[in-house]
Amino acid sequence: MPSSQTPPAGATALDPTAVRPDIDDARIIRVTPAEVRATLERLKSEGFAMLLDIGGADYPGREPRFDVVYHLIVLSGAARTVAAVGRPERVRVLCGVPEADPTVPTMSDLWPAADWAEREVYDLFGLRFSGHPDLRRIQMPVEWEGHPLRKDYPLRGPARERTPRPSFALKSNVAAGTPASGRTAAALQRQIAAARGQTPKDDVK
Amino acid sequence: MTAGTGAPAHGLEIVDAGDGRMIISMGPQHPSTHGVLQVITELEGETVLRADPEIGYLHTGIEKSAENLFWTQASTVIERMDYLSPLSNACAFIMGVEQLLGITGDIPVRAQQARVLLCELHRIASHCVWLGTGGIDLGAISGFFYAFDLRERILDLTELSGGARMHPNYLRIGGLRDDLPDGFLRKLDELIAMYYPRMHDLRALLQKNPILQDRMIDVGILGADDAIAWGITGPALRATGVPYDVRRAFPYSGYEQYEFDVVTRTEGDAYARFMVRLDEMDQSMRIIEQVRRKLETPGPVMIADTKFAPPPKETIALSMEALIHHFKIVSESFRVPPGDVYQAIEGPRGELGYYIVSNGDNRPWRVRTRPPSMYNLQVLKKIAVGEYIADMVVMIGSLDPVFGEVDR
Amino acid sequence: MAVNELPGGQFFLAKLDDVARWAQSSSVWPLTMGLACCAIEMMTATASEYDIARFGSEVFRASPRQADLMIVSGRVAQKMAPVVRRLWEQMADPKWVISMGACASSGGVFDNYAIVQGVDTIVPVDVYVPGCPPTPDGLLYAVNLIQQQIRQGGRGGILARA
Repeated sequence: MPSSQTPPAGATALDPTAVRPDIDDARIIRVTPAEVRATLERLKSEGFAMLLDIGGADYPGREPRFDVVYHLIVLSGAARTVAAVGRPERVRVLCGVPEADPTVPTMSDLWPAADWAEREVYDLFGLRFSGHPDLRRIQMPVEWEGHPLRKDYPLRGPARERTPRPSFALKSNVAAGTPASGRTAAALQRQIAAARGQTPKDDVK
Repeated sequence: MTAGTGAPAHGLEIVDAGDGRMIISMGPQHPSTHGVLQVITELEGETVLRADPEIGYLHTGIEKSAENLFWTQASTVIERMDYLSPLSNACAFIMGVEQLLGITGDIPVRAQQARVLLCELHRIASHCVWLGTGGIDLGAISGFFYAFDLRERILDLTELSGGARMHPNYLRIGGLRDDLPDGFLRKLDELIAMYYPRMHDLRALLQKNPILQDRMIDVGILGADDAIAWGITGPALRATGVPYDVRRAFPYSGYEQYEFDVVTRTEGDAYARFMVRLDEMDQSMRIIEQVRRKLETPGPVMIADTKFAPPPKETIALSMEALIHHFKIVSESFRVPPGDVYQAIEGPRGELGYYIVSNGDNRPWRVRTRPPSMYNLQVLKKIAVGEYIADMVVMIGSLDPVFGEVDR
Repeated sequence: MAVNELPGGQFFLAKLDDVARWAQSSSVWPLTMGLACCAIEMMTATASEYDIARFGSEVFRASPRQADLMIVSGRVAQKMAPVVRRLWEQMADPKWVISMGACASSGGVFDNYAIVQGVDTIVPVDVYVPGCPPTPDGLLYAVNLIQQQIRQGGRGGILARA
């Protein structure tokens, strides 16, 4: 795990999706939740028959806070040769979803593949897909509270957020980070002070 | 999960549906569901009316863990998604990061060749597990031992090069951790020599076996248009006739140089998927033989830019710069310029893609996996309807899901 | 045990408990509790190169009622934890548990919200196997340690309690 001494990152982008690096992976379209359904229907009619993936992303410093990312690809069931498939065009549709109204229309009637993917985005980000036939948690247990992949959700979960790391230290009688020899930073400081003939500072824990 | 009595299982509404109908829960602990899958099946006698797979029993939070690790460390957890072919996951993630860094063109040729070699070896290893366990599901237990012995030889090679049988973390951003060791090519030759007789034995055991054919032919039929609508990729899609293979459509790591066929069938049933995977193993060996010849030529395996590549260990004791570079890379990793990328490879199960977002920091901001197994498994809801419960195991095996990838 | 040779045959004298423990340790049948990557190494331990059957684990039983040993092989997710517990409770006494791999022993590389930090928070564990994943040799050694534990009288014998 990165240590607490890692220096804070330098110039970081609040909206990495606005930076368009020179990578030829997909045509990129950014839409709002009001436009996304029409855009995807249009793309499907243009030949983007396969929905590759629906994913979510959380950008807390940005408005709208969330992104629902759709990846589509041109593929036809009639293609029978590698040449006919060729290098299919990919498109990435980024739909910015505000935190205040985290709802997006479902695509599960256009592509049955969207069913579980949208459930996962709901489970892990808390974004609702209106019109989804069965929107319930898929990865976490049904009674789980919170949406784990949000940036404000602690990595180790709210229950263990403040317990010492590594977790197995809770089971032994040794506190985390303290070797059995008892050589904590505090003990070391006391040792150094004693060696120098000084009185150890009181505020050292 | 009890049928009809007590609380509904996981929020499902259980309705009294009349005589002869039963709702049973297959899994999540089951000898033949290839992992922790629960299929809540509604049966009329032995015929499946509805199959609702429940996943999430292996949800590991890998994507969240990756957001809290350095770029160099993230591939360790990402390797553990598709645990049957770990280096494929690492390869896809690392190539995505290299695209964001803009160094894709600078990866040394030998590193690219080694990546292709190891990805294809792991494809064969993954198919060996599928073949062995698929056979066991049907009672063809001997095939399991033959297939796993072949896999052992591949794991020997993985251990020889990377240090561990599974999850070696051998592929690094910028190339490989180390060159292939002495004796690797000789062991690879031994593998190539034993592969064809072994596959001949496996095919003799399974391919024309009347029981296996009886159980697999016309089971779990999927059409090409349906497959595309359900997001199916990989052997399951190619068994419906559509020759979509990421290695051909979007060649990466030098795949355009190698000759191999994209294997397809048209029937779309479990036997077609079985045959596609068997033939795919042979095509993978064909690629491996071609790469093997190219690996005769020595060369560097890591880009020269010490911003990303840790300097060789020998120089660390001698050069202050090397020491500092190594320290920086290990303790705080490098920063990846902001942006997002979708990088896909052809994994053993289909299009394994990573949507990687960097905000300029030394840790990934978001790593979204496009999990081929999850989409492939979802279609079970459709193809299981009307089949017998005994065929459920055949269908799940033919879709070849890996739950580390489905649940992440 | 003392061997007395009498004309017409050989007799062994032994405590019933020792015989029972010898029988139990020689036929420990694991439950198929494969969860993740460690499960693949567990399957490899049943394959021909490592062959766990020569140590008595001839079959892996899918039904917990018929299994003696639960090898928790892999990471235990939040959803799976109650299932693991229920399966352990369904196993008949005497039963043993091997926690295979780093994830089952302590959460492993996944110190996060999703993984139970050690299956010993759910079920009592007899042997922990380190590794990510451990080699099948490691698992075989763990099975040997279980066998030793049984023979030395840990749990097992005629009056076995959990």
